[in-house]
Amino acid sequence: MDLQGQNGLDHPWREAWRSRGGLAIPIALGLTLFYLALYFEDDFQSSLGFRPITPIATALHLEDRWYLYGLLYCVAMIGGAVRYLRHHGNSRYHQVRISVNVGIQVLLGFTLPFVMHLFGERDLYFSYLWPLKIENFYPQDLAHYPAYFAVYSLIASLVLTPILTLRFGKRWYCSWICGCGGLANTFGDPWRHLTSKSTKSWRFERVSVHTVMVLAVVTTLIVALDFFIGAEVGWLHVAASPVRRVYGMVVGAILAGVVGVGFYPLFGPRLWCRNFCPMAAMLGLIQKAGRFRIRVKKDMCISCGNCSSYCEMGIDVRAYAEKNESFTRASCVGCGMCAHVCPRGVLKLENAPSGGARKLRLAVLPS
Amino acid sequence: MHVVIVGNGIAGMEAALAVRARQPGWDITIVSEESDHLLARTALMYVFTGQMRAVDIEPLERDAYVRHRLRRVRGRAIGIDTAKKRLRLAGETTSLDYDRLLVACGSRPRPGPWPGAELRGVGSFVTMSDLAWLEREARGDAPLVDVPAGDARSPYARRAAAATTRGHHATKPVVIGGGLIGIEVAEILAAEKLAPRFVMRDEWFWPMALDAREAGWIAEHMRAHGVQVELEADVVRLDGDAHGLVTHVVTKDARHEADVVVVAIGVVPNTDWLDGALPLEPKSGAIVVDEGLATSVPDVFAAGDCAGVRWWDGTVRPEQLWYTARDQGRIAGARLAGESAMYARGTWYNSAKLFDVEYTTVGRVGADLPAERTLFLEERGAVRSTVRLVSSEERFVGANLLGRRWDHSVLAEWIDEGRTLDWVISHLLEASFDTELVPPLRAARQAWAES
Repeated sequence: MDLQGQNGLDHPWREAWRSRGGLAIPIALGLTLFYLALYFEDDFQSSLGFRPITPIATALHLEDRWYLYGLLYCVAMIGGAVRYLRHHGNSRYHQVRISVNVGIQVLLGFTLPFVMHLFGERDLYFSYLWPLKIENFYPQDLAHYPAYFAVYSLIASLVLTPILTLRFGKRWYCSWICGCGGLANTFGDPWRHLTSKSTKSWRFERVSVHTVMVLAVVTTLIVALDFFIGAEVGWLHVAASPVRRVYGMVVGAILAGVVGVGFYPLFGPRLWCRNFCPMAAMLGLIQKAGRFRIRVKKDMCISCGNCSSYCEMGIDVRAYAEKNESFTRASCVGCGMCAHVCPRGVLKLENAPSGGARKLRLAVLPS
Repeated sequence: MHVVIVGNGIAGMEAALAVRARQPGWDITIVSEESDHLLARTALMYVFTGQMRAVDIEPLERDAYVRHRLRRVRGRAIGIDTAKKRLRLAGETTSLDYDRLLVACGSRPRPGPWPGAELRGVGSFVTMSDLAWLEREARGDAPLVDVPAGDARSPYARRAAAATTRGHHATKPVVIGGGLIGIEVAEILAAEKLAPRFVMRDEWFWPMALDAREAGWIAEHMRAHGVQVELEADVVRLDGDAHGLVTHVVTKDARHEADVVVVAIGVVPNTDWLDGALPLEPKSGAIVVDEGLATSVPDVFAAGDCAGVRWWDGTVRPEQLWYTARDQGRIAGARLAGESAMYARGTWYNSAKLFDVEYTTVGRVGADLPAERTLFLEERGAVRSTVRLVSSEERFVGANLLGRRWDHSVLAEWIDEGRTLDWVISHLLEASFDTELVPPLRAARQAWAES
C-alpha cells in the first residue's frame, strides 16, 4: 500500500489532452515551434528579420537565449515533478529517483554553469556526457575548457559510465541523472502511455538508435582526427566541419529537441531516448551484459497489460511476465513504472547478484 | 487434422499456440462469441476508468491469429454431436467438424437468486458487454467499448441500461457480493465518485480468504475511499418501478435505494449449452476431466474455468483463475497435438489488489487443519502490512500477506519443505518482493502474536 504500488487509478484515455485529442495538438505544435525558434533563431533572423527568443532572455537580464531555455527547462521539470509525485509519490523509488533527477538538473544542468559564468568562468555542464553531448570529445572544444574538465569528460564517459551501467543498468544515467530523461519523466510523464508497443516500432528503434550511435562515433572520430592530423590529410579537414554541423543540426537540434520534445503529446515522452539517443544505445549494449534486470514472479501475471501500457520505452513487459521470464532489455531505462502499476506485484527491478541466484537475506530479528 | 477450440480466452489461446508450435500443418479453428481477439478480462476495471483502452488489455498483437494461422469463427456454440464429431453453432457458420475438440468456454457470472434480479439496471462485471453496460449506467456518456447485439440469453450480448430509460446516469450504485470482482467494481465506482454501497452477506469482507483483522483493515480502507460497506446484509429481493427499472436493494434489515446494481457473487462454469454432451460435475457444473484434461468422450478435452480439476483436498472443482487457465491451456494444447502431458497444480496460491492494498496468499490458510497454530504480525510504520503464518502439526502450511509484495513461489517452497514457523519467521525476508528502496519488514520475535 505505502511506499510501493499504484495508489488509486489513472484515466489518461478519458482526458483529451493525454489521448491525442483536444489540447494535445496545440501543445505539440507549441513545443515544436518553440524548439524550432530556439535552435534556428539565426535562420529566423535572416529570413523573417527578427529573433523570437533572445529578446525575452534579454528582458529577463539573461546573457543569451540558452540560459532562458535552461531556466524554462528547470521550471518544466519541477512542475512536472510536482504532478508526478502527486500521482506516484507514495512510491519510495519514485520519490528518490525523481528528486535526484530534478536536483541534478537544477544544480548541475543550470545553477552551476550559470554561477560559473557569472564569475567569468567558462560554464561547464557536468551532467551531460559524451556521446549525448558529443562536443565533450571534440578536442577543438576541449581546448577551450579547463584541463580538469577534459579529464573528467574522458573518465566519466569511458570509465565511470561502463562501470556504473554494468552494476546498476543504464537507469543510473537515463532515469536518475540525464536532463532529457528527466524532462521526459516529469513534464512528459502525462503522455507516457502513448509510446508505441508495436513490433514495427521495435524494429524501427533498433535500426534507428544504433545508426545514430554509429554516426556519433564516426562524427567524433572525424572531428578529432581533423584536430590532430587535419593539416596533413586534406579531405579530412574539408569533411570535418560539415559533418560536425550536420550531426549537430540533425541529431542535436531536430531529433533531440524539435521532434524529441515537440512530439511528447503524440508519441510519448521517450521518443528521443528510445529511437535516437546515442548514449542510450551505448548504455543499452552495456546493460545487456550487466546485472540490472526486471525480475518476474513465477506464474502470477494476469495479463492485464498495465506494465506494457505504461512502459515509456515501448517494451512489451507483459509478454515477459506471461512467460515467467526475468529479462534485461537494452532499451529499458529503469523508470520503475511497470513494477509500480502491476496490480499483482509481479515485477521487480533489481541489480541481480552475480550468478543470478536468489539473494539470501537473513532477517535480523532481535528477540 | 482439424483442431477446434471453443473459447478465445487465455486457455483456448494458449492451447492453440501450443498446438501450432508442435503441429505446423494442422488446421486450428477458434470459436468465440465475445471477441475477435484474446482479451484479459482481469483488466476490465482499468478500461472502465480509462487507465487503459480496450485494445491495451489484449495480450497479443492483433495480427497474431494470421501469423499463427489460427482461423477464427465468431459465433455461439450451441451443442456438440460427439458421435459425428461435430460442433453446432448459432451464427453464420452453423457447424464445424472436428478431429479433436477443446472446450475452453470459461465462466459466466452467477445470476442473482433473488426476486427482481432480472430488472433493468441489474448486471454483472465479467464480460465485455458487462463493461459496456456499466459504462452506460455509471457515466451515461458514450461508452469506451461497444459490443454487438448478440443473443439475449448470452452473457456476451449487449444489454440495455436503465440509465438510458431514466435519462440520467446512476448516482446510487450498489454492489452485491463480498469477493474480488465485488471489490474491483466498488473501487472503480468509488473512483467515479459515486460512493457505491457494497453489500455483503458475511460478517466481514471475503471470509474465504481473509480473517476478521485483515478484512477489518480492508473495510476501513474502503470506507476511507467513500465506499459504504454493509456487512451481514443478506439480500432478500430487488425492487423496481413501473418501467421495470431497479429502485431498491432490500436486505433482511434495510431497504437501500439503488439505480444500478452490480451482482458479483461469483462465476459458474459456462456449460449449460453442452446439454448432456459431456459429463459434468453435478455441484459446480464443471466438465469432468482427467489429469490430462481429457473428458470421457474420445478426442474431447476441456481447460480453464469450465473444467473441473482435482484440488489438493481431493474434490473436483473448477479453478477460476487466470494463470491456472493459462497452464491448463498449455497442457491441453500438448494433448491436442498428440503428446502426453499432465496438469499438476501444486501448492495453492493467489494474489489480488484490494483497492491499494496488495494481497498474497499461499497454501492453506483458514482451512481448520489438525494442530493448527497461527502467528500474526501487524506492521504500522512507513509501511502498513500484515503477515499471517499458519502451521499444522509443526509444519508451515500457509500464509496470508497484506500490504507488501512477496514471492509466493519461495513461500510455497517452504510449505513443500515442511519448515517450522520459527524457521519461516527468521527467513521471511528471503521471500520479500518489495520494490527497491522500500525498507524491509523487520520485527522482533515477540511482535508476532500467537492466535
